[in-house]
Amino acid sequence: MNREKDMANYVAVFFVFISSLLLLFPSTRIAQTVRIFVSYSLYPSLHYGAKYDYFVRNVPGNFLNILKTDQENRVLAGRIKELEISIKAAQAVEEENLRLTSELELSRNLALKGVWARVVNKNPQDWYGAFFINKGARDGIAPNATVVGFESGRAGLAGRVLEVYQDFSKVLLITNSVSSVICSLPGASFEGLAEGRGTWLLKMNYIPEGSEIAEGMELVTSPGGLLFPQGLPVGRVRKVHPKESFMNFITADVAPIITVNALKEVYIVNRDLPSDLAGLSEILKK
Amino acid sequence: MSVIGDILLYFFTGVLYWWWTANLSVFGLAPDLIFTAALAAAIIARPVKALIYCFSFGICLDMLGSNLFGGYALTYTLMAYGIYIMKRHLDLVSPFSQVVAALTLTVVSMLFYQGLSLTLAKINPLQLKAFLVEPFLNALLAPVVFYFFTQLKRRFDLL
Repeated sequence: MNREKDMANYVAVFFVFISSLLLLFPSTRIAQTVRIFVSYSLYPSLHYGAKYDYFVRNVPGNFLNILKTDQENRVLAGRIKELEISIKAAQAVEEENLRLTSELELSRNLALKGVWARVVNKNPQDWYGAFFINKGARDGIAPNATVVGFESGRAGLAGRVLEVYQDFSKVLLITNSVSSVICSLPGASFEGLAEGRGTWLLKMNYIPEGSEIAEGMELVTSPGGLLFPQGLPVGRVRKVHPKESFMNFITADVAPIITVNALKEVYIVNRDLPSDLAGLSEILKK
Repeated sequence: MSVIGDILLYFFTGVLYWWWTANLSVFGLAPDLIFTAALAAAIIARPVKALIYCFSFGICLDMLGSNLFGGYALTYTLMAYGIYIMKRHLDLVSPFSQVVAALTLTVVSMLFYQGLSLTLAKINPLQLKAFLVEPFLNALLAPVVFYFFTQLKRRFDLL
């Protein structure tokens, strides 16, 4: 036991002596370089400021240059990543700028006058049903105002304002299953009712048998519909269904002119609607 | 076999410490695994082996850091000797006493190392947040490392 005790004392003194030697005597050039190399490999960071000179004493300049180059490389790699993110953001802004410029140009040529609004909220459970815009009663938005969207340099009917609040409004899209628009073909004598189905397609009903309707024809809002201004493009016929034996009219699938669920800005056209239509929104909400 | 096992344990602890501090630091803070390993080794191992372990762990920390070389080696050697003296008078086997020992010895070793750095290199290595938080983290980890080392001693005759 005493032998072990003595041994422990000797070992303790020995290690204290070795540690003190390491502390007191400056490291040789090679030892210091190896140490910096090991510590830098595990923690690649150089100490700057007042401490820097102490840490890199005795280390050859060319080796330090390698470390500095590595540090510079790391900083530049980080900078490249930041710039890549900035480029992506700039591209998005540029795309938005082009889109807004195009839409603004189109709205200037539009006979209908109104206000621009941004789509601020969409409900995933009602994707083809409705969305909210950032304009409300304060901006002069009224219930049943026509909502126009723009896509690929064209204007098209997107829906109408269903609910108006102080600073925002809810828009009922034409694709909503409770929405319907009286449509006609420019120059044709018949009219039909384009009804939303809760999907991206509309269904046009009540087309008289024998009407000259074919795939690819463009439908516009009819003068017979009071809610929407006439002549506004609604959709394009995708498929004409043959007449069923028990019906005396034909139906057709219609694709909206604009992708209503991808709109980012819309143009709200306020119209002086007959007072009888004022309560329509309330009835629909019920 | 025991020597190889001891060397493997030393390197495993060093690698784990490096990995933990490099990847699991929260706000730049992590328990000092090397310190708790040195503490556990000092409590469990025979005096000479405990001194060798602590000196080696100190050298490991000195190599990993770029501060005063030999500072941790001296600190941990003295800590091992201190624990060797304390073991005769105090029970350091219970988890509570390990927590208290880790708490106090972390503070003492930090201050000692700070004193060494200021005296010999005029460098202040101590960060306030580390000084305030690390003792508690070490105190929490110490019983776990002690248990692990005890199992190693029982099953593989290490330490």
